Amino acid sequence: MEILVLSLFLNGISLGLVYAAVAIGFSLVLGVSGVINFSHGIMYALGAYFFWVLQGRIGFWPSVALTPFFVAMIGFVIERILVRRVYGHDPLFGLVITLGFAMAAEELIRMIFGPAAYSVSAPSFAKGIFIFGNFVYPEYRLFLAMVAAAMLAAVWLLVEKTNFGAVVKAGMFNPEMVGALGNNLTLLRTSVFVIGAALAGLSGIIAAPVWGIKSQMGTLILMPSFVIVLMGGLGSIPGTILGGILVGVSTSLATLIIPRFVDIIPYLMMGFIIYFRPRGIFGEQNIVE
Amino acid sequence: MEREQKRCFQQVVLLIAAIFVLGLMASPADAAQKTQKKEPIKIGVVSPVSGNFADHGLLERIGMEMALEDYNNEVLGRPITLIVADDETNPDVAARRARRLVEVDGVKFLMGGVSTSTALSVGAVAEEKKVLYIATNQNGDQVTGESARHYVFRTPPDMAILVRAGAKYVADNLGKKWFFLTHDYSWGHSGTKWARNMLGKVGAKEVGEIKVPMGNRDFSSQLLTIRNSDADVLVITLAGFDNVSLLKQMNEYKIYDKMKVWYTLMDLVDLFVVPAEDRQAYVCAETYYRASPEMEKLNERYQKKYPRAASPVLDTGTYNGWLSMKMLLEAIKKAKTADNVEKVICAMEGLTIKDNARKTPSYVRPWDHQVLTEVVFGKVNPVQGNDILEVKAYIPADQIARTKEENPVNVGCKK
Repeated sequence: MEILVLSLFLNGISLGLVYAAVAIGFSLVLGVSGVINFSHGIMYALGAYFFWVLQGRIGFWPSVALTPFFVAMIGFVIERILVRRVYGHDPLFGLVITLGFAMAAEELIRMIFGPAAYSVSAPSFAKGIFIFGNFVYPEYRLFLAMVAAAMLAAVWLLVEKTNFGAVVKAGMFNPEMVGALGNNLTLLRTSVFVIGAALAGLSGIIAAPVWGIKSQMGTLILMPSFVIVLMGGLGSIPGTILGGILVGVSTSLATLIIPRFVDIIPYLMMGFIIYFRPRGIFGEQNIVE
Repeated sequence: MEREQKRCFQQVVLLIAAIFVLGLMASPADAAQKTQKKEPIKIGVVSPVSGNFADHGLLERIGMEMALEDYNNEVLGRPITLIVADDETNPDVAARRARRLVEVDGVKFLMGGVSTSTALSVGAVAEEKKVLYIATNQNGDQVTGESARHYVFRTPPDMAILVRAGAKYVADNLGKKWFFLTHDYSWGHSGTKWARNMLGKVGAKEVGEIKVPMGNRDFSSQLLTIRNSDADVLVITLAGFDNVSLLKQMNEYKIYDKMKVWYTLMDLVDLFVVPAEDRQAYVCAETYYRASPEMEKLNERYQKKYPRAASPVLDTGTYNGWLSMKMLLEAIKKAKTADNVEKVICAMEGLTIKDNARKTPSYVRPWDHQVLTEVVFGKVNPVQGNDILEVKAYIPADQIARTKEENPVNVGCKK
């Protein structure tokens, strides 16, 4: 039993890191621009689809390198055409415009790639499994957790250790002041949106070999991301990581006790946390307020 | 003058005759008859275009179109129009779309669907609106069981038929300690219910069950729990996109090294989208494209016409769409009307389709409106290409279907 709990716990950690990797871009865009970006899931789906198309032609690593770049370019175009119009307005405007785009984009994906599901093989170097008695852990899950952790670490370094990050953080609390100090606020927001899109694309790539590819995959990942961001606190990197891990571990362990209701667990946790800390675990007063 | 009068008289007579003939040709009765003759028969197809089963929905609609081609798109001299409505695999949406098809588009015949929950909701609308509905790809017991309706027919086998086709082989050859993995909705419950029902009869015992909600993508926690049970057979009733993820993750967690896996129903289309190494289960299936020479011909036609379809070979969904449409058109022919729904329902009952591309004819059982054909039990092999199923047996459905005692309903025309 202890071994099973340990397996489930570690499994929950890797799941949580992936959830956090998807949610971090969503959190940054919301924190810096005040836009509830519902097109984030589509970037995740596009990452998976582009990777699927490219992998058969140019191999695993070149596809991993190129796909986030393509997704980032699409993010750039969306930001320029759509999202920019709602900066400074009620966050609900951003929600509506990005949700509309997400619905249209999902339909477009279905038209281009069809309604069928697709499967992507894990890379050959991570197809094995660690088995020690009753303890099991697939190599790809470890790889998944490592990549997700590396993504989160990179974002943390960018935000905490660079000048760009300092401006991003300042923009989360007082964007007008950031602009008044001579920083190009629009460029800052565009950059964050593009980085968010690239992160979502990369998350789509690493998740594809485990969860498969389907046009609705973006919609399906969106709500867990939103919940994680609300739990952790808007724009907070440690909060997003903690929120992701809480969701991953709790849903994983809940399989032992209430497998039928694991989907409800994140929402119950969110309700509990927001009741006591309305801004989330690490949340502070922010742009949305 | 007299000659002139005679000529005028002849011209008047000719004119009157011509007007009379023209009048006859354009008489209202004739016009109505002609209009009726050419008025299209509208068939409402309530089928998933989006959602968990969108690819299955497309496949069943392909089958319906293939059947219409067989009939040159007409029956009783009237053209057939299909009107497709996306049920999104959501029972509420399905009911709303079905109601609209009847009320706005005026259809008298409905068919389609891939989920038992949508079959139940569309069936309720069919009964309320007194239109005929054929459930084309839903296997939950309720459709022709406790929720059987006079207006509802079901083409695929129910879960009792499918489970009984494989249970004995599984217990005798694969193992007697069964762990159930159940899709948490009416169809999934049906599969596990019948597998559970067979435990005592085949000497097996249950060692656990996990129910997973529809839309679940990550089965790692469930598979870890199952792997740590002492089960020797994992009995799965789960389908759709979720199943594609499950098939991948079962191999990822090396479930096949630890126990055998038996699907109470596998839509083979789910297997073609995963890599060969992920195809290793024992399965009950409704059809196989190599079931007969006629089926192989039907498959060739399908492959030629739909080379980019989700399934590389004729799938169950396509076959059931094809058979359902064929049955409806044959019933309309037998009833000699497409306007009197009651007559068509009574014509459906007892209908036997011999040219159904199977070894066993398809028979519409009158008292519960269940279509009985045959089911397949086999082992899926991890091989490349389309020939993935090692067939162990084709089992005629009438030998294992629920009896009247097991399913005490009577929705037939003759009470």
